[in-house]
Amino acid sequence: MKISRNWLRQYVRAYASADELKRAITFLGFEVEGVASTGLPPLPRVVVGEIKTRDQHPNADKLFVCTVDVGPAHGGVHTIVCGAANCDVGQRVPVALPGAVLPGDFQIKQSKIRGQQSDGMMCSPDELGLGGDHAGLLLLDPAAPIGQSLNEVMPEGDIVFDLEVTPNRPDALSHIGIARELAAWLHYEIQFPEIKFCGKVAGAPRPDILKNIRVDSPEDCPLYVGIAVTGVKVGPSPVWMQERLKAVGLRPINNLVDTGNYVMLELGQPLHVFDAKKIGGRQIVIRRAAVGEKLITLDGKERALNSLMLVIADESQPIVVAGIMGGASAEVDATTTDIVLEAAYFRPQSIRWTSKSLGLSSDSAYRFERGVDPHGTLEAAYRAIDLILEIAGGTVVGPSFQIGGDRPWKREICVSPDFIRARLGFRISDEDIRHSLEALNLAITGESHPAGGLEWTVRIPSYRADLDRPIDLVEEVLRIHGTDRVPPAPCVGPALVDGDDDPIVIFNRHVTDYLVGQHFHEVVNYTLRAQQELATWVSAAAATELTLANPLVDDQSHLRPTLVLGMLETLKLNQSRGVPAARLFETGRVFMELNGTVQECLGVGFVLCHDPKERAWLARPAPDFSAVKRHMEILASQASVDLAAEELVPVRGAFWGWQEGHSAAAGEMKDGWTARFGLLNLAMVRAAGVEGTVWAGMFTILPGKIPPAAGHRRYQPFSLFPPALRDIALVVDAARHADEVRNLLLKVARGATGASFGVEAVAVFDVYQGPGLPAGKKSLAFSLSFRSPARTLTDAEVNAAFTKIQRDVAADGTISVRA
Amino acid sequence: MQATLTALLAKASAELARLKTRADFEAAKARCVGPNGEFTTLMKQMGAVPKEQRPAMGKLVNEAKAQLQVQLDATLARIGDAEIAGQLGPAIDPTLPSPDSGPGTCHPLTRVREEMCRILRKAGFTVVEGPEVETEYYCFDALNTPADHPAREEQDTFYFPENVRFGNLTKKVPQEKYLLRTHTSSVQIRSMLKGKPPIRIVSPGRVYRRDTSDATHSANFHQIECLYVDRNVTVRDLKALLDYIFAALLGPDTKTRFRPHYFGYTEPSFEVDLSAQHLPKVNKEWIEIGGCGLVDPGVFEGVGYDPKVWTGYAFGMGLERLAMLMYGIDDIRYFYQNDLRFLKQFA
Repeated sequence: MKISRNWLRQYVRAYASADELKRAITFLGFEVEGVASTGLPPLPRVVVGEIKTRDQHPNADKLFVCTVDVGPAHGGVHTIVCGAANCDVGQRVPVALPGAVLPGDFQIKQSKIRGQQSDGMMCSPDELGLGGDHAGLLLLDPAAPIGQSLNEVMPEGDIVFDLEVTPNRPDALSHIGIARELAAWLHYEIQFPEIKFCGKVAGAPRPDILKNIRVDSPEDCPLYVGIAVTGVKVGPSPVWMQERLKAVGLRPINNLVDTGNYVMLELGQPLHVFDAKKIGGRQIVIRRAAVGEKLITLDGKERALNSLMLVIADESQPIVVAGIMGGASAEVDATTTDIVLEAAYFRPQSIRWTSKSLGLSSDSAYRFERGVDPHGTLEAAYRAIDLILEIAGGTVVGPSFQIGGDRPWKREICVSPDFIRARLGFRISDEDIRHSLEALNLAITGESHPAGGLEWTVRIPSYRADLDRPIDLVEEVLRIHGTDRVPPAPCVGPALVDGDDDPIVIFNRHVTDYLVGQHFHEVVNYTLRAQQELATWVSAAAATELTLANPLVDDQSHLRPTLVLGMLETLKLNQSRGVPAARLFETGRVFMELNGTVQECLGVGFVLCHDPKERAWLARPAPDFSAVKRHMEILASQASVDLAAEELVPVRGAFWGWQEGHSAAAGEMKDGWTARFGLLNLAMVRAAGVEGTVWAGMFTILPGKIPPAAGHRRYQPFSLFPPALRDIALVVDAARHADEVRNLLLKVARGATGASFGVEAVAVFDVYQGPGLPAGKKSLAFSLSFRSPARTLTDAEVNAAFTKIQRDVAADGTISVRA
Repeated sequence: MQATLTALLAKASAELARLKTRADFEAAKARCVGPNGEFTTLMKQMGAVPKEQRPAMGKLVNEAKAQLQVQLDATLARIGDAEIAGQLGPAIDPTLPSPDSGPGTCHPLTRVREEMCRILRKAGFTVVEGPEVETEYYCFDALNTPADHPAREEQDTFYFPENVRFGNLTKKVPQEKYLLRTHTSSVQIRSMLKGKPPIRIVSPGRVYRRDTSDATHSANFHQIECLYVDRNVTVRDLKALLDYIFAALLGPDTKTRFRPHYFGYTEPSFEVDLSAQHLPKVNKEWIEIGGCGLVDPGVFEGVGYDPKVWTGYAFGMGLERLAMLMYGIDDIRYFYQNDLRFLKQFA
């Protein structure tokens, strides 16, 4: 909202500088988003001069050498070189004397221009900071006294503040509202505009101008005032009113419309002026719109109304969307002679709903939907009548109408100064508290002493509906005391509170630490992704389940089910900029479908990009499945998931963009977690515009599945005796999984050793397929480690067990021991 | 005999000099001094030597044996040295760059978040998390934001279609809508409903606004929010916490100030401005950094805390804004582009 300093000065002696006013407004709680100055800035050593002579400059076609009289106080007649075409003899013009500083830090000095002495400068409006014409000199009133300071002969400029008014303060959406606040801050008196009209009507009633007003919807319109004026003369409003409106960004229209706007910006009460002749049947009805009714609003658009919208209608049709915008049909025009002035209080929720439904906002709606002062309606109407009679003439005629508004305002808050001090946390005297409240027109009307304490009854004015509880007065006191005056204090940590960081936080921190330690770069991508991308990479289901109701842009319409897609985008961006990027990771929320619901999950994902064209003086092995698997095992372990103990399933088909035969999955969402990792589909990666092969891993877990930090750990005793080692090579079908064979071998080995000693480890150390083996078979070589907790094992007992293992492992005929 | 010894030594000496490997050495040693070695065989012939010659012969044999042992030792040492030299390979060029990658980096937003959490942990706060998909109750209603508040409008908040259900998020009211949280303040409500006062939590996290992306706006960004609930919490305590946080984060010349403001869930409410002599953007004028206030009694009532007993403060700020200020970053989109040249500056 724009507030003009000059306008404020009508009500409060706001003589403070722009900076002081800005500071006051800021600390009253209205953020100043912009300050604009109009008019002439203070310009010392810029004075009125008269051009005495003008000669062509001997060395320049477009310059003149003038003599200019600036008065005896400034050295009389100066020689000044000038390029303006209008520097005619006899003109009075602004002269910047040497030493003057013009806007833009332009310093005026004595100088030589093309060999001619020049003692100052004659100025154009632009050079004085007035904008506009740069070509010609600013021509002054021929009566302006020579030698007088320009600031003294030109009107003072204005300063316009652009304020952010928070939604709880509709009372501040006017010049009086801000003036009230400034008066409290600066301890000035406030001067309200004098209102002469008191509702008295001259002569006989004139039903031919306004016959009746009826409110059919009193819950939406608790108060409606209509006053008829006859014999007005429509024309431009006076210059002072136009200046006020223009200063705050409104375009003057005519004296009647301008008066409505002026009073709204002065007092905060929106008003409406009808051409009485255009009100059908001379009747105004405030009612809900009927289904199917339409209205062309002043902006030229046809609005379809519905039965929840409040309208102002004549006897047959709506003429205004109540409180929001008038229709074109009943507006004042150049031929208007009789008018009806409307001032009303509309229910804020009704106005907001209608404004939102129609997508139609206005200065009026903005104020009504936040809540105008219900007890300022009549005053605003009378103020407008005063101004109309003054600038458009006419006579107020009866009958005048006031419907509703009969509930008197009374609100009081009981508060003790001790309560205010207890919330503020610093010393402030009873007197200071009282002064702060009273400065804001929060009068202390009573005093009591419950239990020896002091309690005040504070009267709340009707325009401060936001003040309802004792705590609300704490802020009022602090505002006037100064929020920047809260004294410093040490930061103390009193009561210990229960609990440790959330397990989610700890999980994220651990996986981040691990991956950073493994030379990954953390990236952060948007949560919202494109539908098409999910359909391509994930599933048709994800492309429908994960959608937003109201996306802003097409490529950010869906929740992400994986972090891999964002990282591919990062790879692509870096590649396109010629920046090598090989190892990336991200943590964040991902969204998974389960049994027809969407689950918000924690995700950690990484990519390892290998560019085969990359050259290094020393070759390192390219990333492979085993490297990815190891990272995944460690990430999963941070959520207490032992991936090595889980069944790993090779990925089939183009599942979520993984490369068949080179990637694996474990876990399902019904278990609360999933792990998917391996090579990303080469063709899809290429189609996505990423070069090279990309290995990736994605671990997803429900937040509730992350266990809290482990409790007390117990030490496990370990054997101090040496192990006995044996190797065994097993020939199996080439398609058989090593892990399954290993589990079988482990089971057999445990059976063979029985209770006498243990199998400490079974580990695959060689995989072979080729000559020497039957077609379709492979050899898996395992090392077995035996150990007893109590003694050194003898060859005999280990050999006996090993012989049994060799026999038993081949028992089902699918495995043979390789000689 | 002497001649035989000399010849034997010469032969062994020549053979040893040619040896290259440990295995060859062991074989040669066996041929010489093993149970059937030439030297051993010779020694066995000592019995045939006349008794009076034996002392002299014995001396000769012992000398020869000692000489042989010296040669064997030297040969073994030579082979050992050669083996080590072979293991080492040629000398390295220490100036060649390592082909290995590294170091990894944390994202700048993670760095700032962790730094804030570290500072707040010292002041007794624990770090909590909450869901990014929320219901209207947690995001708005419980925070005193009325049903017709502009912040709830579809033009500012992302909502989900009515038929979508979130499995691990329970609605408080059946007809309320799911949405992407617009602030981390929803976690305050969850923490208060879950725990008992006193409470001292910090909740960092991702939030969403239906904003067009530009240099200072992003469809998702991050906030960090503190909540303290206890008896007798004051405005001055809140100011003290903020002074501590920013002095710890940005240095002792950092100052904060309060400006009155309005939030539905705090009363009184303030915006917090920052100034720091050593930071380019805030050394001349105050820069707004976050919002705060005392917890509104209405919020306490909503979560079943007696506002006559419990008081508290809350403070929230944008992590991107803070990171931009700290590191001098002028475009919020850099955080989400992840250009490695950008990320690597925060190693």
